[in-house]
Amino acid sequence: MHFLSREATVAPAGFNRWLVPPAAIAVHMCIGEVYGFSVFNVPLTQTGAGWTIPQIGWIYSIALFMLGMSAAVFGTWVERSGPRKTMVASAACFCGGLLISAIGVKLKILWLLYFGYGFTGGIGLGLGYISPVSTLIKWFPDRPGMATGMAIMGFGGGALIGAPLGVKLMEHFKSATSLGVAEAFVAMAGIYAVSMLFGALLVRVPPEGWKPEGWEPKEHVKPMVTNANVAVDVAWKTPQFWCLWLVLCMNVSAGVGILGQASKMCSDMFGVSAAVGGGFAGLLSIFNMGGRFFWSSVSDYTGRKTVYCIYFLLGAILYCTVPWTQSIQNKSLFVIVTAVIITMYGGGFATIPAYLRDMFGTYQVGAIHGRLITAWSVAAILGPSLINYISTAKIAAGVPKAEAYNSTMFLMAGLLMIGLIANLLVRPVDPKYHRPSIPKNGNV
Amino acid sequence: MKALILVSVWAWIAVPLGWGVYQSVQKSMPLFTGHIQAAAPSR
Repeated sequence: MHFLSREATVAPAGFNRWLVPPAAIAVHMCIGEVYGFSVFNVPLTQTGAGWTIPQIGWIYSIALFMLGMSAAVFGTWVERSGPRKTMVASAACFCGGLLISAIGVKLKILWLLYFGYGFTGGIGLGLGYISPVSTLIKWFPDRPGMATGMAIMGFGGGALIGAPLGVKLMEHFKSATSLGVAEAFVAMAGIYAVSMLFGALLVRVPPEGWKPEGWEPKEHVKPMVTNANVAVDVAWKTPQFWCLWLVLCMNVSAGVGILGQASKMCSDMFGVSAAVGGGFAGLLSIFNMGGRFFWSSVSDYTGRKTVYCIYFLLGAILYCTVPWTQSIQNKSLFVIVTAVIITMYGGGFATIPAYLRDMFGTYQVGAIHGRLITAWSVAAILGPSLINYISTAKIAAGVPKAEAYNSTMFLMAGLLMIGLIANLLVRPVDPKYHRPSIPKNGNV
Repeated sequence: MKALILVSVWAWIAVPLGWGVYQSVQKSMPLFTGHIQAAAPSR
């Protein structure tokens, strides 16, 4: 097991740190496939097993729930074991989950899909999500926002690849006796295993005490950036952790509410065809990916607190603008407004690890990030539920479909205001929580 | 040689990402070329 150990991944002298981002992105763009899983929904209902869309929907929900839970539970193990072992474990779980699901489709056993893609694959998602991020933070102490933005941009990109790849593989394997779903799962398991193992092979951690050439940590220049370290078991008891939990939860709830309903919302509000609505959803995915890198990189210059204030304030204004774009039937303006909103949704995901690094240092930042991701699990249920419930209730009450989303937009703006308050409450962590024995900005 | 390795590993992720972006751009084309349905009842 030495090859997989943390010690075996310590970079030799002269190692180029720009080799590490591709390793992180290689893993993230595979596990990001989960966002594109919906392309299998309809084919899975046509396998002859009698499965319904709500039953199939549980596979995705279990996977996202397990992402949050496994990141929280295994975060400390991830920090201790190092990125290579974690990436291999992630590949085994994620690709193994796809293989189990393929068996489930062939045998028409639904719980095998729940266990395979949902439970096992979900654990792979959690492990694969946090490990590359914490590794990149350690390689780029001078640009932590840009570094985390690169990795998490890969996750957004994973959806862009996963959805069309799934469709093309099903088309390729479709036959008189099969819809090609099981075969597509097997092929994806193989493709993703190669890419994730490539990342595991390539990844390195910096030697202890390493810092970029010519860069020195700035002592006490930025009050919101610490050079000290806080352990995960202490960090999650601090008010800063829970403020940031709320920040992430509110930002994601608002964004996912739009992203999950984009196609239908566009069709309902502007009376466009399903194809145009689908095109709108595709466009948002690109902005979701680009926003992760853009905003996270911007945060290196503005500071994390400022950039989240921008997300929340600008986001709230833009949400309130959406009903107006509908009332004047300006589709172009609607697209621009929602595209900017979605860039900030992606930016919120990508900036949070750097914010955690600023608050709690690099020691166990992956484990702290893992625990914070539970906010995502909550938001994944909260956002879509709010939009679905309110818009459905409005339509049932006789409100025209085109106007049914107006109140949900104001509600999303309200959620962002809660996030803004939580963000404004974030203060530097009390030094009594710091670990003086850990080397400042060192690696463990 | 080092530069070649660097370019190769970035290409490993850039090619599939580029393909994914291209697929999404293609998917989003109806948004720019599509026509608004003839005054569909908004209920």
